[in-house]
Amino acid sequence: MQEATFLIMTSLADGSQHGYGIIADVRQISDGRVKLRAGTLYTALDRLRADGMAEVDREEIVEGRLRRYYRLTPAGAKVLAEEAARLRANATAALRRLNPGLAGGVT
Amino acid sequence: MNGQEKLERGYRRVLACYPRSFLSDSEDEIVAVLLDTADEGQQRVRLAEAADLIRGALRMRLRPASRPPRAVRGAVRLVCAGAVAQLAAAVTIIVTAASVRAGLASRPGITAALRDQALSLLTFREISAIVAVVLWLLMAWALSQGRDAGRLAFASFFALITMTVLVGLAEHGATYAAADMIAGAAIWAIALGTLVLIFMPQSSRYYRQVARQAAHS
Repeated sequence: MQEATFLIMTSLADGSQHGYGIIADVRQISDGRVKLRAGTLYTALDRLRADGMAEVDREEIVEGRLRRYYRLTPAGAKVLAEEAARLRANATAALRRLNPGLAGGVT
Repeated sequence: MNGQEKLERGYRRVLACYPRSFLSDSEDEIVAVLLDTADEGQQRVRLAEAADLIRGALRMRLRPASRPPRAVRGAVRLVCAGAVAQLAAAVTIIVTAASVRAGLASRPGITAALRDQALSLLTFREISAIVAVVLWLLMAWALSQGRDAGRLAFASFFALITMTVLVGLAEHGATYAAADMIAGAAIWAIALGTLVLIFMPQSSRYYRQVARQAAHS
């Protein structure tokens, strides 16, 4: 899974978000490191919707413009949980080898 | 037209390269997000924004219905690399052509006929370089969609590239610029790699399977 996709799914994990909200949220989650652009976001969202990982929650019209809120589906939440567990296992292994003294204390 | 309208029109122009089904569903929404993320007073689409949008459009268009085997995915990636290499070559040709033209105009002792011949050759090279970029992109699309005809088309394309390289070598031989040689060799090697990948047994199975599915639906 690409990092952008992982962060978009993470942003949707605790409730629905609209496009601009996801961009702002991903920036915050990644400590300002990942600045999503609209093309990347919507290509990933399109894929997530096609794969049944995300869906449209509701639509609103704000200042004459369409605003669509997305949410994670149960299948999407499961995939995200698995990916997060995999990343944690990798990170734990790396930290343990780099710093044997801290083993067990880093999680 | 105010700045915001101008910017919106620019965004819509770039978005036109997305699949129609996506635009009818999401164009207004993505435009709203683009305008929200634009800088204060921005009137033009920035290069980085356009690049990101075009990359997204390519990814969306090259996305296959069923996941192809590794060899085919690798081949599609190679063809995209080929398109980028060809684009670089085209840009180089177009940029350097300007100085060559200026040089030809100011060169004493050259006959008008010779100059015209050199100029039309230059124009031909510019146009064919751009056509080649389009061909590479078309090939990437056809191969990624599992179209068997795409393999045949690519084999012919490869033959054409090989011929161009050989003719170039025979004609210019020693006078060929080193950069030209390297670019030609790189593009040819990418094409050869693609050819091997798309005719591997697992790729052939995939292309036949997609053809069967298309026949049934």
